[in-house]
Amino acid sequence: MLTIVVRAIIIYVVVLFLYRLMGKRQLGQMQPFELVLTLIIADLATIPMAEVSVPVLHGIVPLLTLVIVHFVLTFLCKISNRFAWFLSGKPVIVINPNGIDYKALKNLNISVDDVFEAIRGCGYFSIEQIQYAIMETNGKMSVMPKSQFAPVTVGDMKFDVEKSAIPVNIINEGKIVKENLQIAGIEENDIKNILLQAKIKKVKDVLILTVDKNGQVYIQKFYDKYQTLQIQKLGRVQE
Amino acid sequence: MTKYLWFKIIAIVCIVAILVAICIIEDRLVVSSLEEVDNFCFEIEQVAQENGIVDGQVASLVDNLEYRWTENEEKMCFMINHKSIEQIGIEIVRLKTYIDEEEPIEFFVSLKIIQHYCETFQHFMGASFHNIL
Repeated sequence: MLTIVVRAIIIYVVVLFLYRLMGKRQLGQMQPFELVLTLIIADLATIPMAEVSVPVLHGIVPLLTLVIVHFVLTFLCKISNRFAWFLSGKPVIVINPNGIDYKALKNLNISVDDVFEAIRGCGYFSIEQIQYAIMETNGKMSVMPKSQFAPVTVGDMKFDVEKSAIPVNIINEGKIVKENLQIAGIEENDIKNILLQAKIKKVKDVLILTVDKNGQVYIQKFYDKYQTLQIQKLGRVQE
Repeated sequence: MTKYLWFKIIAIVCIVAILVAICIIEDRLVVSSLEEVDNFCFEIEQVAQENGIVDGQVASLVDNLEYRWTENEEKMCFMINHKSIEQIGIEIVRLKTYIDEEEPIEFFVSLKIIQHYCETFQHFMGASFHNIL
């Protein structure tokens, strides 16, 4: 049994390493050849785990080979659009200003119900609201609404708003994230002042504390409600 | 080029090198191990035909064959399914039993089985169009 445990760990580490090497795509964002690779890898990895008489190398060698094949295919897709189209297909317009393109649906082997499901997933419940819908190569639907149905943006309203900023984590589960202090442009003394303002005694009582460039502080104690504070604007928080 | 890209390129080169090395080592190991077994069998067969199977030299050669095969089998098990090569080990044990029980016909049959196995194994393990398909 120990053999199986050790083998499982080895194969897990190898597969993890290979997936990290291949990139961070989610299952739903995969191109067809990536999906095939994932399915095969899943199957190959289990063989030496379950069968002790099979050497671990019998699992690892095909995995490594497939990763090389993957890199070659990815490289060819990058240098040749035609090859990429051949391998992954092209994005297809399924709804245009004239309505549903039934010929495109037939080519993609999807039904009108599938189109409705996909556009509902994008937040639109009527085809009338849609100018274009495009079936991407990874199987996701991208929808462009007609201008009268598009959500209003701050830009449309011509409001003068402050630029949004990414909040930086300063305290995480009672511990100061020191590397983020420099990014946020604050010092440990500033944290004490923030805690004083929030009426919190110790750093270790704080579940989360974030600060953005506009000086907006979000602070929450363990098992307590969050508070927001405004402090002096900080210079180095990334926009 | 970014560090990550360099890391990727180095990783790919390493993977290719590992694959090539594994293929070459496997091929060399299988060929040399089976050749050694085949040579031992040939020698045992000749001595056994001259002196009979109940002979010190035959017993010693079979012991040597068993020892060498055990050593090679350990190495081969890293790369080859153990079930595919266990037959040779079983037949070597049978050889020893046949010597003890003085059964020359079965002894020579076992030797032939080992020799046949050595020949056919190289056929179905080697990289050939036939095997790939």
